[in-house]
Order: sequence, then C-alpha cells, then structure tokens
Amino acid sequence: MSVLQEAPVTEPTTDLVAVQDLYKYFPIHAGLLSRHIGDVRAVDGVDFSIAAGETLGLVGESGSGKTTVGRLLLRLLPATSGAAYFEGQNILKMTRAQVRRLRKDIQIIFQDPYASLNPRMTVGDIIAEPLHIHKLARGKDVDAKVHDLLRTVGLSAYHANRYPHEFSGGQRQRIGVARALAVSPKFIVADEPVSALDVSIQAQVVNLLQDLQDQFGLTYLFIAHDLSVVRHISDRVAVMYVGKLMELADREELYRQPLHPYTQSLLSAIPIPDPRVEGRRERIILQGDIPSPVNPPSGCRFHTRCPIAFERCITEVPEFKSYDGHYVACHAVEQLGGKQPEIRPTTKARTVPVA
Amino acid sequence: MALLEVKNLKTTFATEDGLVTAVNGLSYAIDAGTTLGIVGESGSGKSVTALSIMRLIQRPGRIESGEIFFDGQNLLTKSESEMRHIRGNDIAMIFQDPMTSLNPVLTVGEQISEAIQLHLGYNRRDALEKTIDMLKLVHIPSPDKRVKDYPHQFSGGMRQRVMIAMSLSCEPKVLIADEPTTALDVTIQAQILELMNEMQSRTGAAIILITHDLGVVAEVCENVLVMYGGNMVEYGTAQQIFDQPKMPYTQGLLSSLPRLDAEGHERLVPIKGQPPNLLRLPPGCAFAPRCAYRMPICDDPVPLYDFRDGHVARCFLYDERSASQRPIAVETAPRVSLSDVAATPQAMAEKQP
Repeated sequence: MSVLQEAPVTEPTTDLVAVQDLYKYFPIHAGLLSRHIGDVRAVDGVDFSIAAGETLGLVGESGSGKTTVGRLLLRLLPATSGAAYFEGQNILKMTRAQVRRLRKDIQIIFQDPYASLNPRMTVGDIIAEPLHIHKLARGKDVDAKVHDLLRTVGLSAYHANRYPHEFSGGQRQRIGVARALAVSPKFIVADEPVSALDVSIQAQVVNLLQDLQDQFGLTYLFIAHDLSVVRHISDRVAVMYVGKLMELADREELYRQPLHPYTQSLLSAIPIPDPRVEGRRERIILQGDIPSPVNPPSGCRFHTRCPIAFERCITEVPEFKSYDGHYVACHAVEQLGGKQPEIRPTTKARTVPVA
Repeated sequence: MALLEVKNLKTTFATEDGLVTAVNGLSYAIDAGTTLGIVGESGSGKSVTALSIMRLIQRPGRIESGEIFFDGQNLLTKSESEMRHIRGNDIAMIFQDPMTSLNPVLTVGEQISEAIQLHLGYNRRDALEKTIDMLKLVHIPSPDKRVKDYPHQFSGGMRQRVMIAMSLSCEPKVLIADEPTTALDVTIQAQILELMNEMQSRTGAAIILITHDLGVVAEVCENVLVMYGGNMVEYGTAQQIFDQPKMPYTQGLLSSLPRLDAEGHERLVPIKGQPPNLLRLPPGCAFAPRCAYRMPICDDPVPLYDFRDGHVARCFLYDERSASQRPIAVETAPRVSLSDVAATPQAMAEKQP
C-alpha cells in the first residue's frame, strides 16, 4: 500500500464536498502471528465532488465500496490515503474535536431502520441526543425542538414517548431522518435509506427526503443499489464497481447515453414494471460474478465480465476521463473519443411489439 | 383442469398477542408451463401461501381450512410421508436466502445427489453424474470440481444456482420461488431469471414466483396475483394488471414506483399510511384505511368483481351500490384515472364457490 499522500489541509473550491484520490484498504491478517496477508481494497482511488444543494447518487452492486465511501466522509472510518474536503477543510486531517464539530454539519441516515435506533431509548431521547451532544437546546426547548422535528418528518409529537419497536419500518426511517436533521446539517449521507422498506413506503420516504432538501437546502450523497430510485432523486449519478468509479455524469445524460459497458449492462438488467416495455426490451446479461475486492482484476476491473474487453483492458488501468463533463474510465470509450461503444444484447425481445 | 389449485385457504398463527390471520380465504389456480407472479408487501401473506402448499407450516401456525389440489389430489389430506414424496419430486421450492437453505457442513454435491437418490432412486454413482449435469445446466463453471465444494465456497448468485439445480434435479411439475433474486445484485438477478426461463421451456414446469418487485413480475410472469392483508385483491394477466389495474392498491403500487424509463423528475405518488396489522384486520376491505376512494360500504366483506377474460378485483368501486356513496376522502388521486369506474358497473356475482 502506498504511503499516505501529502494532501493540503485546505482547498479553495466552490463545491461543498470534494473527494480526491480516496483510498480505503482493510488489512487481512491471518495465522498465529496475525501476519498481514493482503487487503480488501474497498475504495481504490475515487474522485468526485458535490455542489451545495445538489444530490449525487452513488450506485454500485454489493462489494463495490459505496457504503465505505459514505463512512469515510463522516470519519466513521479512517481513510488509507487521499483527501476529502468539506467546505474546503480536509475531513481526513481533522482532529477529534474538529470531527465532532464536523458531525454537526454532516449527518448520516442508515439503511436498516431496525438496527440503527437504540431499542431502549424513547424516540424523543433518540432525537434529543444530538441536541444535547452539540449543546443546541436545553430544558423545555429540547422537547419543543423534538416535537417540531417529528412533525417535520411526518410523525406526531406524541410519538416522542414511544419506543422504536412500536413503529413500522417506514416510520422508523422517518425517526432516523429526524435524528439526522436535529443538528441542522448541511450535508447528509443517505446510505440505502429506502432499500429495507416496502414499495409503497419507499415512495413516502423518497418524497420526504426531496421535500426536506427543498425546505432546508440540504446536500445529499444518496447511496443505493437501485438505479430507478437513484435516477429519481439525483442530479448527478456516479457508478462504482469493485472500489473504483466507472462513470459519473448528469442524471439525464447517464441514463440516456450510458458510456461505460458496465453502466450499460446494469441499466439493461433492471426490469421495468411494464410488460409491454419488457417484452420489447433486449438485454445484456453479464456472465460471471462480481470479482472480490481482495484480488481485483488487473487493468480495468470490469474486464473479466465486459463483453467488449480487449488486450489493453487486461493490462492497463483506464483513466477516469471527462468528455464534456461526462466522466468515464474505459479504453473503448477513449478510443471512440467519448462515444458510446456498442454492445450486442445477449437476449432478444420476447414478444412482438404490441400496438 | 389446472395443475395446482388453491381453494379458500386460511392459515393462522397463534401468537402471544392473539391469532394472526396470515392467509385469509385465498383461492387461485395455475396451469402447467405458465408463470404466476404473487406480489405483495411484507406481511401480505405471500410466503405463507407458498409454505402452505408445501405443507411446511409449523406450530404455532396452522392451516385452518381450505383445499389445495395438485393433479386432482387434495394435498391437505395427505399424510406426512406422502407429502415427503411430493415435496421435491412434484413440487419444489427455492427460498430467498440460499445460504440458510443449504447445509453448511455437506458439500453441494452431497446435498443435490441426496435428493436425487431419495426421489429418483438412483444409485450413488449415477446420482453424482446427474448432479454434475445439473450444475452444468445452471452454468456453474467446472462442475465436476465444484461438486466437492461447500456452500460457503460459492458466491450468492452461485448458491442460488445450486438451489435451482437442486430443486430442478427431480424435474418438479411445480416450482415455487419465494423472492429468489431479492438477495442478489441486479446483474446476477438477470442471470437467475434468464436461467429460470430457460429451465421452464425445457421442462414445462409451472412456476409460482413470489416477489415484491413489480419489474421482475413484468419481465417473467404471464399472470399476476396481487395480495394485501392475507387475501387476493386483484388477479389478471400481466398486461391487464399493468395496463388497467382496477384495485386502488394495485394502482397505488404502480404509481409509487420510480421507473427507469420515466420522463423527467415527476413526483412519486406514495400510498398513504402503513400496511395493516394482521392482528386487527378491518372487517371489510383490508386496504380501506389507506384508500383514497373509501366508502361506507367498504366495511362490509368485499366480493370479487369480474372484468372478463379472467381479470378480477376485490373492490366495491365496481359495485352498483357505490354510485350512491361518495368516496369518504379523495386526497391523492392515483396516476391511473378511475374515470371508467362509473361506466363499468359490472358488478358480477362472487366468482369463487
């Protein structure tokens, strides 16, 4: 593993969040003496930025490292190297006291609303805890603030005296949102906030997050594996695969003209809830499994499953390059000067198009 | 005659808090060679239906009443040893989590060939050969080596393939797949769905696919059964359900979905409220408390209304009596218009016996 690179402590930028060359390796120890035998390369050189008021969607399959990126931004995990700036300050270089202050500005909403709320605390205490920690309210003000937050997320003030187990999944996720909002953050990392919820409830929480963004001018990093939800909520979308970003573009651009073969096949794999559309669709079905981040493939990470991989993809890591603001790491795209490489579908349309 | 027919199935669970009615008078049928999608949210009773067919309901659960006909025989009157012969042989099941449904201390080969020896009466060597063939069929690379591996040595997608290989090894006539791809990534999900499709065209099995993902249903199912609060609220062909959903719940489900092919940034229309508490199901329509079209009549038991060509829905909006009863609350109108409601008062008689 490379030595921690010297990154400047501050960075003049207009973006609220800027991530540069971020790495996170989890060491693997084995044997009697716990020798270091390798690393899980969870995040392996990632660059992106988020403007104030923007939502960046970060998508990827399991093991892509998307959750780790979110945790690094909150300093819930120490990074191996790289830099992550929030309002120009390098999060990765902050002292403990600074990190504590940082968490007034950056909050996280977790995926599992069952595991992320302490079952022995009342909902009121859960939401009040960040207020106490950051000394934002005292005495009666705390209750008033808690009741206010509960109403903001669509619950009622009387819910404050209840315990998490008395709530359904969607309601618990609302409590998680209220807790995150308690400190009036500027930036929220939402880590799969709706994946554990039923379809009819997902829409409620997605709408809530959008309303709160409008109301408080929040900035989101929305981490998810569901490309339909990400498309709905994001301004720009980044696609991650085994620790690296493959593509990053404006939402419309990415879904209309996906350049990377991985993004193309990912979009093609998602079923659309309409049998007419489904019957007409031709899809690219990838062979094989997602590689392990312990031993990622050489060159381009995707070459083992890529339908159009060639020699160079196996030997040379493609550069994450911008084509008019549409970032892609792919040799085929580079050869075409930023055009979409054509991939032949593996299945044909099943039915004749219906009028 | 349908290959599998469920009639008035009622399955309950006696809990500390009271009797939970997980499935409440469900009836449906499925023909050979077709795929039926059962959609519903958590607690709608879709998995309990599947377990009831397999007779795998355990205490404190109980199948209270109903009949399940497979090939003309009522499964609910079979003895446990007769059922053991039917399970795996005639009706097989794939579960959501392939890790917990495989035995971690036996090799994959041992587990599959055990089923083959037991059900098809093969000897050890032939069973092993058939096992390797099955693994090849589900596209496991170098199957002759992988038979000796343990489940933990496989990835999630491969484990689900192993489960499929196991469940198909005895060529069942009915395959029940309970959320077979929910735990998998989308690119792997596409592989598994394609594989199931391939298997069906080879063996002509009937598939019951239980899922909460309407996209998956649109992709693979001919017929769709929508469940809510333990019972069927709508049934029809995939085309009918997606094009002309009749029940407000089905309409709500469709309009609350973000779609990959949607135009622009339109706001999602969620269904208000929370799923029902199965301990205290409303006397009439279970969806009424969340329904934008709720009427006083909705507190009565709801019959099925027939829209021809097999499309049925359980909703009083299609009753003549509803014309005189204004909906109690219309706060959020679903995206699908209900303008044709008044024009089609085809309130037909209860369809089921």
